[in-house]
Amino acid sequence: MPYIHKFKRMTGLRKRVMIGFLSIVCLLFFSGMVSFVELNHLSRDTEDILKANKRNIELAKEMLDAAQEQNVALIHLAVFGNRSYDSLCRRSMNRLEQTLHVAQKEALEKSFLDSLAFATTELRLFTDNYLAFGTSSRDSLMTNHLDSIGSKWYIDEYEELYGQLTAAIKNYMTSTQSSLAPRAEQMKKNAYRAVTPVLISLAVMIAIVLMLYYFMSIYCVEPIIRLNKSLGDYLSFRMPFTVKADLKDEVLELKEKIESLITYSKQNNS
Amino acid sequence: MRLNVVLRYIGIVMLFIALFMLLSAGISYISSMDSAFYPLLLSALLTALLGIFPLIFVEHKGQLTNKEGFCIVVGSWLVACIVGMFPYLIWGGEFSLVNAWFESVSGFTTTGATILNDVEALPRGMQFWRMSSTWIGGMGVVMFALVILPSMGRNKMTLSNVELSSLAKDNYHYRTQIIVQILLVVYVGMTILSTLLLKLAGMNWFDALCHAMSACATSGFSTKNASIAAFNSPLIEMILTCTMAMAGVHFGLIYATVTGKHNNMFRSEVTRWYFAMLLGGSILIAISLFAADIYPTITSAFRHASFQFVSLVTTTGFATADSTLWTPFAILILLFGSLICACAGSTAGGIKINRLILAAKMMLVRLKLQQHPNAIIRIRLDGIVQENEMLHSVMIFIVAYMICIFLGSIVGALFGVDLMSSFSGAVASMGNVGPGFGEIGSMDNFSSMPATFKYTNSFLMLLGRLEIFGLIQLFFIKWWR
Repeated sequence: MPYIHKFKRMTGLRKRVMIGFLSIVCLLFFSGMVSFVELNHLSRDTEDILKANKRNIELAKEMLDAAQEQNVALIHLAVFGNRSYDSLCRRSMNRLEQTLHVAQKEALEKSFLDSLAFATTELRLFTDNYLAFGTSSRDSLMTNHLDSIGSKWYIDEYEELYGQLTAAIKNYMTSTQSSLAPRAEQMKKNAYRAVTPVLISLAVMIAIVLMLYYFMSIYCVEPIIRLNKSLGDYLSFRMPFTVKADLKDEVLELKEKIESLITYSKQNNS
Repeated sequence: MRLNVVLRYIGIVMLFIALFMLLSAGISYISSMDSAFYPLLLSALLTALLGIFPLIFVEHKGQLTNKEGFCIVVGSWLVACIVGMFPYLIWGGEFSLVNAWFESVSGFTTTGATILNDVEALPRGMQFWRMSSTWIGGMGVVMFALVILPSMGRNKMTLSNVELSSLAKDNYHYRTQIIVQILLVVYVGMTILSTLLLKLAGMNWFDALCHAMSACATSGFSTKNASIAAFNSPLIEMILTCTMAMAGVHFGLIYATVTGKHNNMFRSEVTRWYFAMLLGGSILIAISLFAADIYPTITSAFRHASFQFVSLVTTTGFATADSTLWTPFAILILLFGSLICACAGSTAGGIKINRLILAAKMMLVRLKLQQHPNAIIRIRLDGIVQENEMLHSVMIFIVAYMICIFLGSIVGALFGVDLMSSFSGAVASMGNVGPGFGEIGSMDNFSSMPATFKYTNSFLMLLGRLEIFGLIQLFFIKWWR
């Protein structure tokens, strides 16, 4: 309240200059705020995209590792008949499924994971069947026969499925990456929208500054120059002091006071 | 010239525009605070700040000179187009800098050409702002501001004299304040009446108001991608045809007719020619379309022909059919209509039928003078003897108008636009009609046109709206003593 009262008591020029500068300050503040808010949005969007990107790579790597581990375990099982790899085979299969489950839960576009889910289910069935066959029938077969049957099974049936799985994982990785492109495009638009209000505010501010300069020049600087010149003429050549003041402001007050002073000095001299 | 005084009056116009932006923001707020709310609010604040600034410094005093009045009017139009871009630019979407400028100029000059591929994707607030800009422009940005200014003494007369077309003043026999009020009463009255009629015909309130604003301003902006064809209603088309036709008549004559004055529009020679042209053109196009089997019955051919012809003659630009696919004869008549346009003193642009009648009379006088070289023949229009100065200005205007169209077509062709689109684009922009033919037909838009073509056409729109010399004079203002 005291500030409002003080503002009301302000006279012409001071009030105008204050309003002018307040407008500029408001615009500056406003531009700053808009920039801040919009840049925050932009930064959040960028962070989201980078996080999604990183997570996608991590999950794909995890799945590829699990698939490779599964592959190694099956080679040992099928080709070399090493039964100690049974548990590793099951573990890596579980790891693959768990990672796929996480990817499905976090995915923005679930359709990219369809082929991967299908390949994983196929692999699970295949592995389970092979392991079940291994426990029931393997013991009854001779070791040299087992090696050749296992190698044939691996090459004829499993290898193709493994190729499909790894291809599906790679496809998931690239598809998710390409699905980020529209989001990046949206970010570009958001960046444009973030910058435009600020640019327009700045353009308006430049216009206001130019107007302020112009008005200050014609309502403040020029009257002072005229006062100065007229006063100089009066003092040097005793020419009459006549200055035109357009507005009821401090310049007019100054002019009236100088006139009173001149009148007073004339009266004293006479 | 006192630049500070000019800035003060332009500031008032800007405040007035800010008010309409705020109104559009209100519409946006009512429409579940759609995405246009903040851009409109922000634009209103910036425009108001820009407009209020000169008012703080410059006090209202003194008489305006003609030069100052001229600068205020032309400056107001330019500034209105510039601040009118703000909502579009801030909102984004299809609006790049050139597109926003084109849309804003097209709105304020009531051209109604658009760069939007999907008008329906715009939020309601933005739709309403488009219509507001065109409605303000319909009456003239300065004229609108003059209505709300309480007392300006002779300044009001100076400004209205610059804003009104020289030919439009003939039918007014009132003081400036009354003329401004007549304009407002007729304009607002027509808008309200057509809104109610469109609502009764089946449009929703928003569409009815928007289309009424657009029709009364003879702009042609629509809230639908397919323009009026989207409603497929003969009743709506009939109401809009009548509204457009009335918006093309001198507002003073409409007022005189409604208030039962003697000098009403039925006694006006210009208005009679205007209605005869509308009827004649519609019948000719309808016969051509029916003969070419474009429409199966003569009534449907007349329905579309009359709507489209009235729409182009009144410089509105609404569409119920793609006239680009019509016969060459129909296209030529439509092009002729786009050149001539409606009466002076209306919201329409173009050469105006008053000038065409005067030019025809001058040609007849020329023939008579060849037979009787010593005869003194006076040319009258609506019973008023036309001075030589006026007749000269009419001929100069027509020549300048044609030169501008020719130059506009050349520039279009220079930047790879086909001849039909380039020429019809120049005719449509210069006459503030909106749609042309070819790639910018009544069912197309300017979005695919090169940026230079858009800038050239927006310049032509301003030239047409300010009746050529208004804008050109700005470049020679330094030498105006």
